Order: sequence, then C-alpha cells, then structure tokens
Amino acid sequence: MQNKDTAAREIFRFKQQHWHLLAEKAIYWEEEKALILSDLHLGKSAHFRKAGIAVPAGIMQEDLFRLQQLITRYLPERLIIVGDMFHSRHNNEVQYFKVWRGQFVHIRIDLVLGNHDIMNEEIYSQLEIITHETLTIRDIHFIHEPCEDNNGYLYTFSGHLHPAVVMAGPAKQRLRLPCFYFGRHCGILPAFGDFTGLASLDPAPGESVFVIAGKSIIRTQ
Amino acid sequence: MQQHSRGWKVVTGWLADKGLQPFTFQEDAWQAYLQGRSGIVNAPTGFGKTFSLFLGAVIAWIDAHPKDYHKKSRNGLQLMWITPLRALAKDLGRAMEEVLRELDIAWEVGIRSGDTPLATRAKQKQQMPEVLIITPESLHLLLAQKEYPAVFKHLHTVVTDEWHELLGSKRGVMVELALSRLRGLRPELKVWGISATIGNLEEALEVLLGPYHQNGLIIRANLKKNIALQSVIPNEIENYPWAGHLGIRMLPQALPIIEDSQTTLIFTNTRSQSEIWYQSLLKYDPMLAGALALHHGSIDMELRIWVEEALHNGILKAVVCTASLDLGVDFRPVDAVIQVGSPKGVARFLQRAGRSGHQPGAVSRIFFLPTHALELVEAAALKAAMEQDLIESRMPVLLAYDVLLQYLMTLAVSDGFYAPEIYEEVRKTFCYQDLTPDEWQWILAFLTTGGEALGSYDEFRKLERQGDHYYCKSRMLAMRHRLHIGTIVSDAMLKVKFMSGGYVGVIEESFISRLSPGDSFTLAGRNLEFVLIKDMTVLVRKSNAKRTIVPSYMGGRIPLSSNLGRMLREKFNEALSRRTKDPELIALQPLFSRQEELSHIPKANELLIEKITTKDGYHLFVYPFEGRLVHEVMAALLAYRISRIQPITFSIAMNDYGFELLSDQPIPLTAENAKQLFSTDNLLTELQTSVNATEMARRKFRDIAVIAGLIFQGYPGKHKANRHLQSSASLLFNVFKDYDPQNLLLKQAFNEAFFYQMEEARLRETLERIAESRIVITEPDKLTPFCFPIKVDSLRDTMTSEKLEDRIKKLIAVNG
Repeated sequence: MQNKDTAAREIFRFKQQHWHLLAEKAIYWEEEKALILSDLHLGKSAHFRKAGIAVPAGIMQEDLFRLQQLITRYLPERLIIVGDMFHSRHNNEVQYFKVWRGQFVHIRIDLVLGNHDIMNEEIYSQLEIITHETLTIRDIHFIHEPCEDNNGYLYTFSGHLHPAVVMAGPAKQRLRLPCFYFGRHCGILPAFGDFTGLASLDPAPGESVFVIAGKSIIRTQ
Repeated sequence: MQQHSRGWKVVTGWLADKGLQPFTFQEDAWQAYLQGRSGIVNAPTGFGKTFSLFLGAVIAWIDAHPKDYHKKSRNGLQLMWITPLRALAKDLGRAMEEVLRELDIAWEVGIRSGDTPLATRAKQKQQMPEVLIITPESLHLLLAQKEYPAVFKHLHTVVTDEWHELLGSKRGVMVELALSRLRGLRPELKVWGISATIGNLEEALEVLLGPYHQNGLIIRANLKKNIALQSVIPNEIENYPWAGHLGIRMLPQALPIIEDSQTTLIFTNTRSQSEIWYQSLLKYDPMLAGALALHHGSIDMELRIWVEEALHNGILKAVVCTASLDLGVDFRPVDAVIQVGSPKGVARFLQRAGRSGHQPGAVSRIFFLPTHALELVEAAALKAAMEQDLIESRMPVLLAYDVLLQYLMTLAVSDGFYAPEIYEEVRKTFCYQDLTPDEWQWILAFLTTGGEALGSYDEFRKLERQGDHYYCKSRMLAMRHRLHIGTIVSDAMLKVKFMSGGYVGVIEESFISRLSPGDSFTLAGRNLEFVLIKDMTVLVRKSNAKRTIVPSYMGGRIPLSSNLGRMLREKFNEALSRRTKDPELIALQPLFSRQEELSHIPKANELLIEKITTKDGYHLFVYPFEGRLVHEVMAALLAYRISRIQPITFSIAMNDYGFELLSDQPIPLTAENAKQLFSTDNLLTELQTSVNATEMARRKFRDIAVIAGLIFQGYPGKHKANRHLQSSASLLFNVFKDYDPQNLLLKQAFNEAFFYQMEEARLRETLERIAESRIVITEPDKLTPFCFPIKVDSLRDTMTSEKLEDRIKKLIAVNG
C-alpha cells in the first residue's frame, strides 16, 4: 500500500476551495477537513449472496479498509457521503460496518440519501449516521442525483452515475477510466465501492475531468 | 431370425404397400435396435434417418404386443426424441403420427419445447404420450419437476437427433447430463444418436454414450448426397467491392435463381443481414410481395410457424433466413438454396445445401453469392473441400462447470439429489470424466455455502444439505431457476408490440436503449417507429420513414474452420499461380492484377507483409491465410514482440486471410528483424504474456456467469426480479478476479479462452511454415485489394507496452 509521500492526488483549486482528488476515489475538502465520497454500495455482495448468487465475500471489507487508510492519512473531522452508502436492505454486512464504525466514533458521518439508501431511519441512527435529503456547507450543495441546471448554489456535488470517460485517439486507440467530473454547475464523484460498474459520460468543452489511472490522478481536460 | 418377427413383417409390409423398400442402413439400424444396442446412425438428410430409429421402436412394440398393439393405449412415455430446434419438432411429430395412423397404433406423439402451451404441459403431466419430442432445455425442465422419476418409468429409448449440432456446444453437455440421470433411473436405456457426417464420428459416439460404454456402434448410410455448387460471379468484377458483408449489390443476379426455382431458401449469416435482404428483395421485385418471407430467431413464434407451414405447402417463392432454418426440417418444395457470404465451414455449407432437394436421390442445388470479391476464393475452396470429403470435427466441451452447477440446481429444485449417486453418474459422462473430487466438493460448496471466504456474518442461501442429500427449500429460488434453465445466452430481449396491439417479435434491450422515441427501425421485415418502452415491452407504430436502422444483433462472428482455411490457402496459391481452372478464380484475375500492380502476390513459399501509411496511422498487414482464430493470436504475438523493441500501442484487426497492426508511430519491422519476429522461440511463454488472456476470458465469462446462475437475464413480459440484484458479467469477472481468483468459473473462462480459442498447435505449424518461407515486405502507396477488407473491420483489440499514464497523456495531447 502506498504511504503519504507517494499518495497520488491532485489538489484542484476551484470555487475558492482546495479539493484534494484522491486515486482512492474520494475527495478531501481541505477547508472543511472533510472526506467526500459517494456510491459505496456497502452490503452489496451480502445482498447477492443472500439471494443465492455466490459473488465473493470480502469486497466490502476491502472497501472499508481503503476508507480506513484514508481516514488515518487525512484525519478528517467528518465524512460526507453523497448517496448510495448501503446497497439495499439490512443484512449482516451492515453489522460488520457497525463494528468498523466503532473505531471512528469521533468522526461525524453525513449521508445524503441516494436511491439505494432504503433502510429504516433507526438503523442509520444506530450506526450514528446523520441522514439528509440534501446538504449544504459553505454554499456547496450535496445531492445524490446530478442536476442539469444552475440551482442557485455556488456549486453542487453528486454521485449516482459512477462516471467514466472514454478516451479515443489515433490508430483507433481507446481507454475507459473512472473519473472525477466537474461540470459547469455540478461535480460528479466516482463510485467508491469496488463492486460497482461504470457509466461513460461525454464531457463538454470547458468542463474539468480527472481520470483515475491506477494509483494516479490525471487531468484530461 | 429377427427378419421374420411380427413387427418386422408389419412394417416392411406397410412400406411395400407404399411402394417403398427400406435402405440397407435402415434395416441395419432396426436389427441393432432390436438387439438392444445403442449407437449412432450416420446418414445425410432426406434419406429417412428418422425412420431408421422410429420404425425400430415401432417394430419392437409390435413384437412385444403382437395381439393388442393396435389397441394398447396410455402406455406411458416409451421413446424420447431430443431435437435441438423447436422448428424440427412439429415436422417430426407429423411424420411419426402419419406412420402410427397408417399402422393403426394407438400411440400418442407429444411435443415439449419452450413453445408448448401450458394446457398441453398440464395434460402431459396427467398422461405422458408414448413418444415425446423435446428440446434439451425442456428435458432439463422435466428433471426440475417434483417426482420426475415417475415420468420416465416406462422409458426405454432416447434418440438424439442432429447430434452433430449439439456436440461441441454446452447444449450437448446438457444432453450428456440428462442422459446420465436417465441411465441412472433406467439402466437398460437404449441411447441412439442421429448425426450428419463429421470428422470425429467415433468420438461423437463416445460423447453420447459416455466413455465407459460397451455396446455402441455406428451405422453408416454410405449414401452420398448429390450437391451442385455454383458461384454467382459478379458481372463486373473490376467494380465489385473489395470489402463488405451484405452482398446487396449481387441481388439482381440472385433474382433469376429465385424465378427459375420452385422455392428458394436464402441463407444469410446474421439476422440484420436477413432483414436487409428481405427489404431489398421486395424493393427490387415488388412482385415477390406475399410470396417472400423472413425467418430468424427474433421473429414472433407464430409467424415463424406460419412460414414453416407455408414452406411445406409450397406457397412461398422464397424465404430469407439465418441459422434458424439450418437443421433438418424437411421442406420438400425447396429446390434451391442461396448462401449469401461465406458459410465459414464445410459442414455448415453441406447442411444448408441439404435443405434443397430433400428427396432421396435428388440433387441439392446451392448457389454461393459472395459479399465481397475475395470471398469467391472461398467458393472454390468449398468445392474442393467437398470433393475431398474434408468435413470438420466437432470438439466436445470438457469440464463445463457452469452447466454442472445449473444441472445440480435443477435436480435440487425437484426432489433434491444424493451427492455420491450423482457424482458417479456425472463422472461417467464424457464432459466430466476428469472431474476431480476436489472440484466436485468445490461445486457443492459453491451451491451450499457460496464458496470460500466465510465469516459469521455470511448469509449465503441457495441449497440446504442433510447428510448427502442436497435440496432447495426456497420456492423463490426454485422458480427463478426454472426460468433460467438453458445454455443459450442472449442479450436481454424485449417484446415488440404495436400501440394498437399485435406482437411483432423480440429485440435486444441494448439496441433499443440506443434509440430515441421517433426513431425508426426494422424488425421482422417491417419498418417501425419507436414510441416508448413500458413494462418490458417496446411499443411501436408503423413507420413511413425512408431510412430505418437495422438492429445489429450481438452474436459472435463465426471463424473459418481449419479445414476450410487450409483449402483456402491452397486455392489462393492456385489462383496466384495463374494456372487454375476454377471459374471463381479466373473471374478474380483482374483483382489479382491490381494486387500485383500495387504490391505483390505471394507464392506458396512466401509471406507477404504490406506497410501502408494513411491518415489513421501506420498500418502493417500480414497475410498467412490461416483463418481468423490463428490470426488473432498471431497478431497479438507479433504486436507483443514488436512492442519489446520500443514502447508502442497497437490496435489489431484480422479476417480469415490476414491481420493488421495499426499504430500512431512507425512500426519497427524490417527485412532484417522480420524472421526473428515470427520465430517459434519461447512461443508458449510469450503467447501467455502477449495474448490478452484476461480480455479473452472476460468475454467468455459472460455466458458462464449466466449459465451458472450468477446473472439474471431479462425475460420478455416479466419485470426484472430485483433491481438490487442486477450486475454485469464484466463487473462480476472483476470482483472474482480480485477477490476469489481460485474460483472454478473463472478458471473455466480462462480455459475456454485458451484451449478453444487459441489454437496453439495450428499457430506453431504456421510459424514453422513462415520460417521456411521468404518474407516479402512491400510499401504500397495505396490500400490494396488484400488489405482493404481487414482495414475496414471495426472490431479491434489493443496491445500496448506503453505506460497507462503515458497513453493517457498522449491521448490528451492529441485531443487538445
């Protein structure tokens, strides 16, 4: 695993804030000491297994291990999760999360509810997760599904899509990579969970895109 | 003396009354059958191969009940007839019923396939007919029913029709497994196969009966089908396209064939091609309206049945079809077949030719219509291969863990199974003869505990276990499984209906998802406007649009078989020697002259390489004439070896004649290093590094994941079971690779990629041949007739030795 010195990140200065874009598929928001992530889909493999589909167990453990490393590296005060934190109904992996959560009781977790976040409110409160329909901090707005138009806030962060871009070049070369996508009004985070797919976006000129290439972050436009 | 048995006399007497005399092979088959043996009947279509076994069973029945064979009814299932195609079932049933009626035997003939109505199924459950014609999938569905052994209590014979079609596919494995269970229930079961000629008939017998069989035999008809192959040669070869795959430009030359024949089948290689041909024929000759039909797998079942009936009755002039009409249906009025584009193999070509002139002794007329100029060489190669009886072998599938998982689930949802008993049965099949006890344990664990990596928090649920007894308790899982039985994996299909009602057919979800409301597309020969999707149904209205989109259906391209590949190379050599008598090759002379002028024509002992620069980049074309499969691997190998000279990225394309490496920088292949780049040194190691095994395995994994029950396919008319259980095969492949690399399904994907796709032995032979050859490198300033069809191919692979970061930076730089 990489240490802090070689950590691949890109500090993106945007809307008067410092956004550390991390190859682990999260953003560290310097001014707020917050880690922003989206689409963890915790409990997804358990949900499949419960239904008789033998996908490997242990995917969530790896995802949470990666999150744990980010927490110990950046020492954030809060996690902002832009939706789809859990994949489906309550299952035993949620219990695993509860144990994991016990290591970081001092960290506040804000969850902006996504379409997959369908568990009862009391389960979230047992896990000490504060849920929101939307969340706004320093006029930065967080909502699960990306908005098309200007909604009046300084900027908006979303998830939901699991964005990727396709890069094509001469001699018919083609690459498809997950990305951080900064549109005019709305930024879209890559999916944090490993058991998630990708959706290709078609960036317009003037938008900023950072692809995640293995352990590094590269700005493509 | 068997000849004098009561049944024998009744049957031969009945035939004689019709003025018929049995063929020797039919009598041989009856004889063997009456002795209680199993085996394979090998005969061309149109010579009564069905009767060679069906009448055997009838004779045995009369012999067993000489007094009351007329009257005895409700005897339970006696004879099961497995057929790969639903279209065959009706036809077979009709022929059998006719026999039974004329002999006044009170047997019933039933059909069981995906098309069988629920009411009929229920009736069959009450009282099974004596003869059941069934598809492999429906047979497994029978095994998924509670108390299924009762159904087979009186079963004494199973016949597998068109065994050569099933062999070599996972559907064949389904047959092997079902037979293993039936033999377990009925140890005296007679098992017969009917097969066209293939290169490995002995092996086909072994697969059908299992490697431990004792008394199997092959009965050969030794009757040769008379086939007349004629190529349709473009009137102006100079102007005929160098590339393409539709062949529409040849349509005017196809019309006289249709006119001069009673009924013509026009075989195309894809469904989209058949749609386009159907539309174009109607446009070109409006008189065909009403007498022309379209038949492919996406067309509404009722319409397909109507087409088949109409073919029987001779009211159609022509039918444009795909492999959907490949198999032995007996359409007597058909007296001509047009094959559009390469059939890719001798066996398939013979099969299609056999659709015409179905009567014994009749000549099968088949016309080969090339879709691009070079394909004419294939016609010449086919002709030569047919003369020399060079028929392909069908390689049986080995250790298909996915099918085994599905089969065990099938048994589990019915009465459950006892693991030691089923293990013994499974081990006696050809496919699983090398299954190890460890693998068996893994398979059982996969179904009960969901594989390794267990923790106390795991909630995996599929099968329960009590001692050695495995069963499925969940009704929901059982229902889902029954809907999923089968090994034909397709894209999720949606029903297509008119707004005003009326069913058109089914279409791939991935196609429709690319359309916007208002777009027009073509299905079942109709121009349709897409209105909306509702409840998994695509609603459409009639479209008057001039231009419509024709769905390009998924589905692999068929690679050239090695037999045809070898013949093709010989024919190229013959053509290039300019001493040929084949009309196809003579017609191609202008094209060869152009090739000679621009580049070079390789002789038998030469390998031609062309280096061409276009606005797309730097191209390297190599022509081994070895067929697509070998070229794919060889291209990757060459790309890998060049990429070790300097960091470079290639996109790779290939066809049956040669392959292309395309790069954004000059390719460092020279007269000096060429020989070394094609050497056999370190072949195996370099192959494993060079061929993108992971990508190849990923492609194979899709089918495996569906068959093994990891992915739910959509069903027409059914809501998706649970949105939270959707995932793509590619995503599953990734998580298995990262989190469970020992998974047998993953191993199977790599095996399928390596052993079926990479033909290492063929590649080695090719490289050895090249080592003896002279390598000719030309640098034409224009694209040549040889390279053109490869260059326009859009399906491409990638091979790179550049760092990911460097590639991205380059792409950014280029795109500004």
